[in-house]
Amino acid sequence: MTASRFWARFLLPGGLWLLLLFAVPLGLTVAVSFGTTNELGLPIYGWHPENYKHVFDPLFVPVLWRSVLYAALTTLFCLLLGYPVAYTIARFGGRWKNVLIVAVVLPFFVNYLVRTYAWVTILSDDGLLNHILGSIGLSSVRFLNTPFAVIGGLTYGYLAFMILPVYAALDRMDPALIEAGKDLYGTPSRTFWHVTWPTTFQGVLGGCVLVFLPAVGDFVSAQLLGGPNTFMVGNLIQQQFYEGQNWPFGSALTIVMMAFLMVWMVFYLRSAARAAREAAA
Amino acid sequence: MSNDPWGRPITRRSLIQRGAGLALGASAVGGLAACGVGSQKASTQATEKVVKAQVDGNLVYFNYSEYIDPGVLKAFEKHYNVKVTQAYYDGMAGMMSKLNSGNVYDVIFPSAEYLDRLRKANRLLKIDHSQLRNVNQALEFSPYFANPWYDPGAAHSVPYTMYTTGIGWRSDKIGETLTGSWADLWNEKAKGKIFVLDDYQEALGMGNLRNGFDLNTTDSGQLSKTKQLLIGQKPLLRGYSTDTVTNMTNGSAWIHHIWNGDIVNVRNQVKNPEVFKFETAKEGIPIGSDTFAIPTNAAHPGTALLFIDWMLQPENAAKNIEYIGYPMPNKDGYSAFSGLVKEQPSINVTVEQLQAANKYQFRDLPQADLQLWNDTWTAVKAA
Repeated sequence: MTASRFWARFLLPGGLWLLLLFAVPLGLTVAVSFGTTNELGLPIYGWHPENYKHVFDPLFVPVLWRSVLYAALTTLFCLLLGYPVAYTIARFGGRWKNVLIVAVVLPFFVNYLVRTYAWVTILSDDGLLNHILGSIGLSSVRFLNTPFAVIGGLTYGYLAFMILPVYAALDRMDPALIEAGKDLYGTPSRTFWHVTWPTTFQGVLGGCVLVFLPAVGDFVSAQLLGGPNTFMVGNLIQQQFYEGQNWPFGSALTIVMMAFLMVWMVFYLRSAARAAREAAA
Repeated sequence: MSNDPWGRPITRRSLIQRGAGLALGASAVGGLAACGVGSQKASTQATEKVVKAQVDGNLVYFNYSEYIDPGVLKAFEKHYNVKVTQAYYDGMAGMMSKLNSGNVYDVIFPSAEYLDRLRKANRLLKIDHSQLRNVNQALEFSPYFANPWYDPGAAHSVPYTMYTTGIGWRSDKIGETLTGSWADLWNEKAKGKIFVLDDYQEALGMGNLRNGFDLNTTDSGQLSKTKQLLIGQKPLLRGYSTDTVTNMTNGSAWIHHIWNGDIVNVRNQVKNPEVFKFETAKEGIPIGSDTFAIPTNAAHPGTALLFIDWMLQPENAAKNIEYIGYPMPNKDGYSAFSGLVKEQPSINVTVEQLQAANKYQFRDLPQADLQLWNDTWTAVKAA
């Protein structure tokens, strides 16, 4: 048995898992998206492509744009918050690098839903944040049930997905490059923008993709922290499967959303492949 | 050029071919699997299963949260030496989703119109009244319950509670009285502190009543007007939620679209219960009843029968009423509710109201109209 064949066998359990728990449900979703429902809310299979037409109903366009906007803002804030954290740990962590990274990641072992509930408590009118404001003499501010709460919740929920890839890229970078930049009379900011940033750009891109894609489809933050006007596409899909009892329309929405996100994924993969080629060259 | 794990070179064409093959294969398998998840109408045979009221395993209980006295539940566990596994839904649609996914429960608590729907689809076991020693406590409470519109002969259900929908508010924030109309949910003074129930029936029904339409209207023009009305309300709202007790007790809500018993629950939990008030609207009061029911695929229907019998015992019913704040149609246990009514008369629900106000009960709508209602509600939420 050649070496590659031997190791190829290890693909089998993972491949089987992928097939059963991903490919088959995906096929099911596609099948349901062309169906209708009966009086109990169960899907009836058939050929009803009008479900897809309904996805592009002008009523839902604001919902789609809002989801993209919230996800983009979330990605930006995750980058602004996550990059400095990763940079500090990678460059100045020293012996404590691994401990610090574990400390950063540890809160994210707690389930995302539970963490968002914690934010409900923190942001509520009688919550922690308003107590602090009250103790320094400011009046209570309404944080909960606003778009800011939703974006805040999303940012907090996905921060680890930005920190880790950026940290990996920074850790991989040869510190001699930064010294070289300084040797060539680069100020700290010029060194950063001309040396560090381009070198770690692939890590940043990976982090952005890992934050943006799930954030677009998120529904937990909007449901728990949002108000009546923060309806995202994830909530729309959940509504169809849950209360709306319209699985076919929900499935059609899901497929369209996946197609949209695939575009970004392909863009990222091509960029990563190109960078790998250039690095090897 | 890279090689695949089997050493063959990967070309773009081979990748596309294999990708397409995988996609087709997955869809085919998915389609075939889908045939298994069928929507065949269940036969009546399953509903006729003969069940004796005896312990045949632990109970799987599926209900709204905070809708039963935990003390009564614990006493049931001790008395029959069984365990009760509790699962919760936050609305009838959620209950239907779980039931449709094939989840197995022993006792469920559908509202009247959903009981009607489940009964017609042959999804509920016939309940043999002779197996329930206390069944007459409920059925003789009023002739209405011996033969309700949603379950002829009370063959598949036993009544659990009666309820009305109204408006709860805080008199310390808004004032001592409101106008006694659904328009109070548009109160400018409470802008940003108003919640409407996140329930398509209750929300659209409320809009229909405010517009002077029939509660269950299926006219698309009228529903469209209701849709506009509710969309116009959104700037005043803080959110849509059925978490009524939490919203009122933590101060997020000054005015809440709420069920009558929940106000009792709120008053039990706060330090200043006298400021939490409840009113019903002059345009129309949605009224209904919740029921006990046993799904046909219940794994332990015998224990379920024992549980229903337990809840019908007058002492347990009285304790339950005091905890959940809703009246249970129970001949000897009902007096517990009268005590609650004395404190807040507006929460009162009588059977005469149930019988008379047929047009204020939510009805089981045909599939196409149900879709219309759901689409209207989706449009309200997405706007």
